[in-house]
Amino acid sequence: MTRKLIFLAVAFLLLASPIFAQTPGGGGSDLHLPFAYLAMGIASGLCGLGQGRAVASAAEAMARNPGAQAGIRFALILGLVLIESLALYTLVITYVAK
Amino acid sequence: MPEREAELWTTVLFNRFLASPLDSFLTAIGHPPADPAHPWENWITMEILVALIIIVLFALLRSKLSVERPGKLQMMFEAIYSFVAGQARDAVEHGSSKYVPFFGTLFIFILFMNLIGIIPGFESPTMTPAVPAGLAIAAFLYYNYMGFREQGIGRYLAHFAGPMPLLAPLMVPIEFISHLARPLSLTIRLFANMFAGERVTITFLSLTYIFLPAVFMGLHVFVALLQAFIFMLLTMIYVGGAVAHEH
Repeated sequence: MTRKLIFLAVAFLLLASPIFAQTPGGGGSDLHLPFAYLAMGIASGLCGLGQGRAVASAAEAMARNPGAQAGIRFALILGLVLIESLALYTLVITYVAK
Repeated sequence: MPEREAELWTTVLFNRFLASPLDSFLTAIGHPPADPAHPWENWITMEILVALIIIVLFALLRSKLSVERPGKLQMMFEAIYSFVAGQARDAVEHGSSKYVPFFGTLFIFILFMNLIGIIPGFESPTMTPAVPAGLAIAAFLYYNYMGFREQGIGRYLAHFAGPMPLLAPLMVPIEFISHLARPLSLTIRLFANMFAGERVTITFLSLTYIFLPAVFMGLHVFVALLQAFIFMLLTMIYVGGAVAHEH
């Protein structure tokens, strides 16, 4: 099933190949923006997954050990902010790539 | 003629009265302003305004300090101080009280700068990349200077070689690059959070009416607080790593 999904994803990406038929004149700057949007989507999605895992394990740890809630909450917030900053690096590149 | 951003009232005031000192200063350091009639930009005047607000606030606090009957302002700042000092004690093992003034200043300054952008008519200085870059460079210089002062130049630089001398050719470039990446990540984190907050609010303001943009502004308040705390916390961790004595 995973292999089928990977094949499907690659097929969709190849579906965008007509974009390479653009004339080289205006092609340079026009090509940055769609890829920047795609990069931002991938970055946000993966960071969302990472933050979800962080929150899930923090919630389970707090349930198992209610006495350590303060420390776990601190580690959770720190972890969430650091993962968030990874998505924001991609956002900055999106603006720089214009 | 390059487009000039809409000027806030503080920038208009600064440009009207203080344009020539800044012109001569900028020309003296080799970067003459593009438009000599308007050398002041929004972010620098906002930063000066925030600094003045903080100075006035603390002067007011200082005059009202009392041991027997603390007022509300004193209790609020005592809570902030104990919060910062407690975090410093956790992050820096020994001698954290030497560094608390810098951490507290970073926290309060960044917090006020982040929050002032929510008031209409004011703009967060942290929304421009220059301001977080300056703060990150200050934090970088501070933690390296504290490392040099605490451990001596030789021993501090020896830390870059890693745990074993055999690994030094591998560790030194890695440590060097990761140390350089620290102010970069501090800058981008603070700048991108504040910039994205403003952009998101503006985007939603152009789409819907009052309720949804207000929700995003509320989120922006929370993010402002959190980013100020995280900047301070990461600086504390870097200072703690720089002054830690290996036993």
